[in-house]
Amino acid sequence: MLAPTLRLLGALICQLGSLGLAIAQTPEPVSVSAANATALSETDFLTEMPLVLSVSRLPQRLDETPGAVTIIDRDMIRLSGARDVADLLRLVPGFQTSTSFETGAPLASYHGSFDAYSARMQVLVDGRSVYSPYLFGGTATGLQSVAMADIERIEVLRGSNSAAYGARAMLGVINIVTRHTVDTLGRQAAVTTGENGIRDAQASIGWGQDGATFRLGLDRRGDDGLSGSNGHNLINRVNLRADLRASARDEVGLRAGGLTIDSGEGYVGKPDNPPHDRSFGAGYAQLDWRRSLGADEDMALSLSHTQESLRNSFAYSLLSYKNQVAAYPDGGNAALIQFKNLVAGIDDSIDIDTSGRASSSTLSLQHTLRHSSALRVVLGGELRREEVVSRALYNTDAVLRTDYTRLFGNAEWRFADNALLNAGGMYENNNVRGDNFSPRLMVNWHVAQGQTLRFGVSKAYRSNSTFEQFADARYTSNGVLLKVTALASGAVQPESLLVREFGYLGDFPWLRAGLDVRVFHERIAGFVRGRKSVLPAGTTLLASAPWDYVNDEDFTIKGFEYQLKWRPWRDAQFIFNQTYTNINSIDTGTVLPAPEVASSLTYLQKLPGGVDLSLMHQDSGPVVLTGSSGSHLAMTRTDLRLALPVQFGATRGEVALVVQNLGSPYLDFDQLFRFQRRAFVTLRLEN
Amino acid sequence: MLARLRLLLLTFWLGCLTAPTVQAVTVVIVSSERSPAYAQAADTLVRELERTGWSRHDMLQLTAAELAGAGVLTPKLFVALGAQAANALALAPLTTPVLCALLPRSSFERVLRSSGRKASSQFSALYLDQPLSRQLGLIQLALPEARRIGVLWGPESKTQAPTLRALAQARGLSLLEADVGQGELLFPGLKAALEGADVLLALADPQVFNSSSIQNVLLTSFRAGVPLVAFSPAYVRAGALLALHVTPEQIGQQAALIAGGVLQGKTLSATPLYSQDFSVDVNEHVARSLGLRLDAAVLRTLLRQREAAP
Repeated sequence: MLAPTLRLLGALICQLGSLGLAIAQTPEPVSVSAANATALSETDFLTEMPLVLSVSRLPQRLDETPGAVTIIDRDMIRLSGARDVADLLRLVPGFQTSTSFETGAPLASYHGSFDAYSARMQVLVDGRSVYSPYLFGGTATGLQSVAMADIERIEVLRGSNSAAYGARAMLGVINIVTRHTVDTLGRQAAVTTGENGIRDAQASIGWGQDGATFRLGLDRRGDDGLSGSNGHNLINRVNLRADLRASARDEVGLRAGGLTIDSGEGYVGKPDNPPHDRSFGAGYAQLDWRRSLGADEDMALSLSHTQESLRNSFAYSLLSYKNQVAAYPDGGNAALIQFKNLVAGIDDSIDIDTSGRASSSTLSLQHTLRHSSALRVVLGGELRREEVVSRALYNTDAVLRTDYTRLFGNAEWRFADNALLNAGGMYENNNVRGDNFSPRLMVNWHVAQGQTLRFGVSKAYRSNSTFEQFADARYTSNGVLLKVTALASGAVQPESLLVREFGYLGDFPWLRAGLDVRVFHERIAGFVRGRKSVLPAGTTLLASAPWDYVNDEDFTIKGFEYQLKWRPWRDAQFIFNQTYTNINSIDTGTVLPAPEVASSLTYLQKLPGGVDLSLMHQDSGPVVLTGSSGSHLAMTRTDLRLALPVQFGATRGEVALVVQNLGSPYLDFDQLFRFQRRAFVTLRLEN
Repeated sequence: MLARLRLLLLTFWLGCLTAPTVQAVTVVIVSSERSPAYAQAADTLVRELERTGWSRHDMLQLTAAELAGAGVLTPKLFVALGAQAANALALAPLTTPVLCALLPRSSFERVLRSSGRKASSQFSALYLDQPLSRQLGLIQLALPEARRIGVLWGPESKTQAPTLRALAQARGLSLLEADVGQGELLFPGLKAALEGADVLLALADPQVFNSSSIQNVLLTSFRAGVPLVAFSPAYVRAGALLALHVTPEQIGQQAALIAGGVLQGKTLSATPLYSQDFSVDVNEHVARSLGLRLDAAVLRTLLRQREAAP
């Protein structure tokens, strides 16, 4: 399944070498006689330059974004000692995370783990939406798309913003921006080894020159997972990025890569989910073209294709059931005899296989125009096709296709010297469920220097996953229908989220502190929930209560969260987060997907000799993660990191010791799974 | 205005073709080429001299290429606009004083070296680049919290290193320096200069800053959150935060002032001069994105006031 993508990747790598050379040799169209001459003259002062920081290149300031944004930069990623993005999101107010691979990869969710795959969040990697059409729209595998070393920063939008980030941007947006190839020229490598079978390795090479630069990176992340689980998790990744300046006005970006996630899941003693291995794979290619149309205008075109596959099967033993039925006295009852013969005819063990494949292709076009210094407008459209094929999940070999058409726009209007209005919306149509419109209105008011109030309202819809609409999962043996585990009636509609929020951003330079507060009221309508339905007696051999997906209750998530950053003395930083969440669902399974109170405190200190000290403490109240066993799990975890810079000639780097969870083990994902103390050492070098 | 002047000059040159080759003009302006910047400087120079009582007929405009065929010229002053014009005049056997303008200091010094001349009251200059002290002054005004200044030295700009180090030290600033040698890649140096820097000061050097490298310089520094202070308004349009520069008109004005003095019998300053006037450009979008509020006019006024203060 991945073979075509990997072949494409190989071909791309071969092509890029020559393309890079060709572009590097293309003369710049700007007339600059002195540009390449070695002698300085007045021409250097009088020549026009290509427009680099064009209108869409300039990000909004944090106090002018239409929503609460937490930025995790490269330094923070390094200092955290986190081995993947999900673990890093623990440090963002309002997030719940798990390190379990039980449902594919570590999960992260904002304001509630409402489903086992975290499908109510949007994850973008360099603008490409990486949710998994196969894994029910889940974002956990997408969070693993790139190596931590390749990430420049992660922008976490705490809230909802479909108008700017697409239809899935309901509860949180994770925007992962990878490092520009210009910043990663040369070689870089890291190895990590430690307790719990931790064996990570990463290497990347960057090459090129002005106008054409490249990076190829390979990495693996491996460990034994949570104690008590069937964990032996290994992620392998390859990622290629090329940045080409085709002319003074045009920039082209090419990205391609793939990953495999091999993990163990299942439980001893659970015949319907025994310990077994699963393997998820994904490959992608992405082309971006940005053209500057002037100082205040540019266009961006993006084309991407992603393929993914899942291999997951295990033997489901029916032997004890068969023996039980065989031993049952029939007393000459003809019907009973017929039933016993039927059961005797099925296999002792059947292969439960949820394997399948999916793909998504996206074409998007965006136009950004600065009408004046007070008004900036973004308009765009996107076509997206998702295809899913799985006999196991849909009882058909047919391709289940969903086509999306999206039109979006946003106006950023500085209507007063100290106030900004962001008004935007997205219209979406899909061929299965019709259309909807997600508007957003946000005002940022700078009440004083460094003091900003933000208030607004937004609406978002989540398109139903293919599984919610078409699920038909059944077990059969020798032509006998044994059980139906999921059967979608197809009546489900997109759920919606109406958010009202208030924010405050305060900068206190005299205290060397900053405060970010978000008060939220998030109303989910038609919450999509799995409901067990009943099949007519005799439909299946074994009792079946298949899952259907329905628009269930409306409920509200409300509360507030804040982050205080304080630099009390030289080279030190404290980050204190706290979130209070109240979810007024009537469904017992949805009452506690987020803790009522969660807090974290991070202390970062640069010590003499360049030594970095990080101490992170997190305390979260009880939570019930959907998709887990339903246990109430609380978490107290303290991490320590100490890093020492090293240098061998021109090669620089650091050695870091990380101890995760200094205290006693805590329960993660399941009553049986424990996160025990893990110490590991990383050596990172670059030149 | 320009059209009229050109018509006048054309008439004049046509006259020259038939008339004896000795021209009775007072000031000869020789431009490296005919592009707008040179024309703006020359036009301002002519206009300003006119304003102080000189006639347009006293002035002759040529390009460096036309100089050889212009015959015998005996003005009271030559004004060269640009390095090529300065070089052409330096190599000519002239007894008339020459003011070289619209060229950076290192270009003027190269002209001196190649012609064997020395800067004197016979051959002096009005520089296009800005004094380092003024550039540091602007950084301190615009970014008062900036302490560490990243600098990328190329083969040409490197000669200014000792001066900049001394000036920075005197102002309590530190430099993060990196060299980009001939034929070397920019990135390692850029990385080194940006690491820990509060601001990146671009000093003109074609090896380091050119239309090919500017993309990487600007993107890398912007990603690192380090604003770029550059030397021309084109860099500000491209995405630099600030530029300190002198416009061709301002050069024309000061050249007119110097020329007026020479015409009244004063001698040229033997020491080449930096422009008195200057401009500050701010990219307000970049400033806003970096959380800064900067006003170019206010910065210029304040910088002028500070320079005027004793």
